[in-house]
Amino acid sequence: MAILNITYQGQSADYELAIDFAATDGDIHRIATEVVRTGSVRGLHVPDLPQHAFTNYVVDRLEGPDGEQRIYLRPKVPFGA
Amino acid sequence: MARKLVVCGVGALGSTAVQYLRNVDAELRLVDFDRVEAKNLGAQWFVKQSVGKNKAEAVRLQLANFYGAKAEAMGVRLGAHNAEQLLADAALAIDCFDNADSRLVLQTAARAAQLPLVHAAFAADGTFGMVRWDERFTPDREDVAGQATCEGGEHLPMIGLIGATLARTIQDFLARGERRDYLISLSGVVRSH
Repeated sequence: MAILNITYQGQSADYELAIDFAATDGDIHRIATEVVRTGSVRGLHVPDLPQHAFTNYVVDRLEGPDGEQRIYLRPKVPFGA
Repeated sequence: MARKLVVCGVGALGSTAVQYLRNVDAELRLVDFDRVEAKNLGAQWFVKQSVGKNKAEAVRLQLANFYGAKAEAMGVRLGAHNAEQLLADAALAIDCFDNADSRLVLQTAARAAQLPLVHAAFAADGTFGMVRWDERFTPDREDVAGQATCEGGEHLPMIGLIGATLARTIQDFLARGERRDYLISLSGVVRSH
């Protein structure tokens, strides 16, 4: 099981309920859309979130700083220079 | 002999991070083929007198003139043909490139040389960025070719935050060998590894 962190429009927050670390990217997109719309993510409530808000987002599955499994749903970051 | 840091790309994130690296116990090598344009002044660490100069050379001059700090400028495009030379003697490579292809070239060269590599990157809308070590990094491509980004300067505070986070990450690596990742959003800076 893993913690899901969602970043949207500059706000970033954890979803409190653990989800399957092996969930597909599509599953993560659907779960994130639902929990952000319903206000289940503290500090990240967007009732009118568009259906495809996370379509171009990236799903990272990483080990967190304390060894826990974490899933990050985030915008692409193509830029630097 | 001082350790050498190779900063690849000194536009928005690279030039900003270099400001905060000016007093680290290491030598800086700056790599960028591009030239400073007037539009860059809103989001990158350049001054009016830098317009028209090569970006690596412009940053080198600013470090010298403002702070008396030394750096080496390499005004060339990093590619597979010269990566080994540009990364020679480095203790750390720092990726601040603005496109996935260049990041992949650097990643391939650094991995071949078993050289530590840290990446910094931000989103097109300027609301999110990250600092991530190479073992956990995959370059993202633009959603659409030619996607607009930071040039207008409206994202300058976020660029500053990401650049400062990158510099601190490098400090921690130089001091203790730590390889920490960070996510940077308008909510703050969060360690992710």
